[in-house]
Amino acid sequence: MTDTRAHFHGELADLEQTLLNVADQAEQMVQMAVEAVCLPDMDLAAQVVRLDVKIDQTYLDVHNRWMQLMALQQPMAGDLRMMSVLLHLNTTLERMGDQCVNIAKMAQVTYGLPRSETIIAHLREMGDLVRPMIRTGVEALVRRDLDEARLLPAMDEPVDRLNRNMYKEVVECGPDPELLEWATRMMLVARALERIGDQVVDIAEQTAFLLTGDLMEFNDDAFSGGQPLGG
Amino acid sequence: METRTQTDKTVDLTKEEVRTPSFDVSSLAGQGDPMLAQNPVMIDVRGLHVYYGDFLAVKNVDMPIRQNEITSLIGPSGCGKSTVLRCFNRMNDLIETARVEGVIEYHGVNLYGDSVDPVEVRRRVGMVFQKPNPFPKPIYDNIAFGPRIAGWNGKMDDLVEESLRRAALWDEVKDKLHESAYALSGGQQQRLCIARAIATSPDVVLMDEPCSALDPIATLKIEELMLDLKKDYTIIIVTHNMQQAARVSDRTAFFSVDVSERGRTGYLVEFARTQDIFTKPEKKQTEDYITGRFG
Repeated sequence: MTDTRAHFHGELADLEQTLLNVADQAEQMVQMAVEAVCLPDMDLAAQVVRLDVKIDQTYLDVHNRWMQLMALQQPMAGDLRMMSVLLHLNTTLERMGDQCVNIAKMAQVTYGLPRSETIIAHLREMGDLVRPMIRTGVEALVRRDLDEARLLPAMDEPVDRLNRNMYKEVVECGPDPELLEWATRMMLVARALERIGDQVVDIAEQTAFLLTGDLMEFNDDAFSGGQPLGG
Repeated sequence: METRTQTDKTVDLTKEEVRTPSFDVSSLAGQGDPMLAQNPVMIDVRGLHVYYGDFLAVKNVDMPIRQNEITSLIGPSGCGKSTVLRCFNRMNDLIETARVEGVIEYHGVNLYGDSVDPVEVRRRVGMVFQKPNPFPKPIYDNIAFGPRIAGWNGKMDDLVEESLRRAALWDEVKDKLHESAYALSGGQQQRLCIARAIATSPDVVLMDEPCSALDPIATLKIEELMLDLKKDYTIIIVTHNMQQAARVSDRTAFFSVDVSERGRTGYLVEFARTQDIFTKPEKKQTEDYITGRFG
């Protein structure tokens, strides 16, 4: 087969690769941010903040390249869907970076406070669940694999459950005001990890859109099928 | 769900009749956007094969063309899209060896039925060509020519004005109606040809690459005009410009071509709503063509 738009398709592939690299970086940042909280380690926290500056720069660069491709190449059909996915992915990854920064900042503001080992164990568990989600979400996109994309809601479910239970664990940290302050901040860490899990599910929904042309909401009840959005 | 409800209009294609224009000359008011999904089928193509002598030029086309819609035919050179277009007003009759199999129904009447008069078909199904081809006559006479031949005896001035207004040309030519059409620009000449086509009150207008000889501004004017005209007419356009098909048409037919030692035979790959063809075509062949992966 001859590709009569080889240059455009090359640029599209480059743009996708740039974002896949950002996704790898986001996965690494999640690990660093969780460790920064759990150890705690202030150097790691500072590194997360620095890495996010790079993600933000890439976000702007990708946006500019995306605008140029859209204006100059007028992509259609599968190419158009890929463009839509890349725009969405760019925003989602930038927000994931921001959530990692939120976690890192909690490490910084709680440094020196007393801690609950139960909560720390649960935050580590959440981190260990979210990172493979990012890997699976990215692989599903790279391989154009709808079945793999549909694994994500089930992977996200225990993350949601741990986040919901965090409230109870925080309450149990009373009446020590310092421990309670630390635990309250950790609730925000759990919330940030839960949001990252949801963002990976969004990426999987985008992969499904790329492959089927239908934007699906992968809700918990229907993760094997998906519900088309908007009726 | 695609239904093939036909128009309920009864037509007689057996002879020429003197007709008043189907539109109200006194009013230019638009009629609003038609409900696309409910538009009845005006031209129903079923199992169409077109031959030139023994050679099969286009095979097996099924395509319901809906009233008050713009349908675009796209595809690579030699895929038969112009051949199919020319079946709709029996222009292929002018080629001695051309032969059509299958059915093309217009308001439920077979266009290739024995009693059908091709001249009457061409009055009802107007055509605009790739290159503007005004008659070597004044602007006014270009419009009046068809109605005069058809024996129309209403107020010719009103008909000329209304036709030119509908073709978005009136304001540019109203002060030089008796000057030669050749003095107009290419874009104006093409709009004059559209005005000439609608002066005989057809309900279908065929356009064969109507903008390929025009500059971008003139092209956009024709496209805007098409969107205005579809309130009153059914338009079928052949275009090589995929963006044009995407911009103006409601439905798109993608044709491709089989190459064998006997020659090139065109066929319909996919016929669907334009928004689906350009965002999520069903056939890989359509996807490959639209995204430039073919050869």
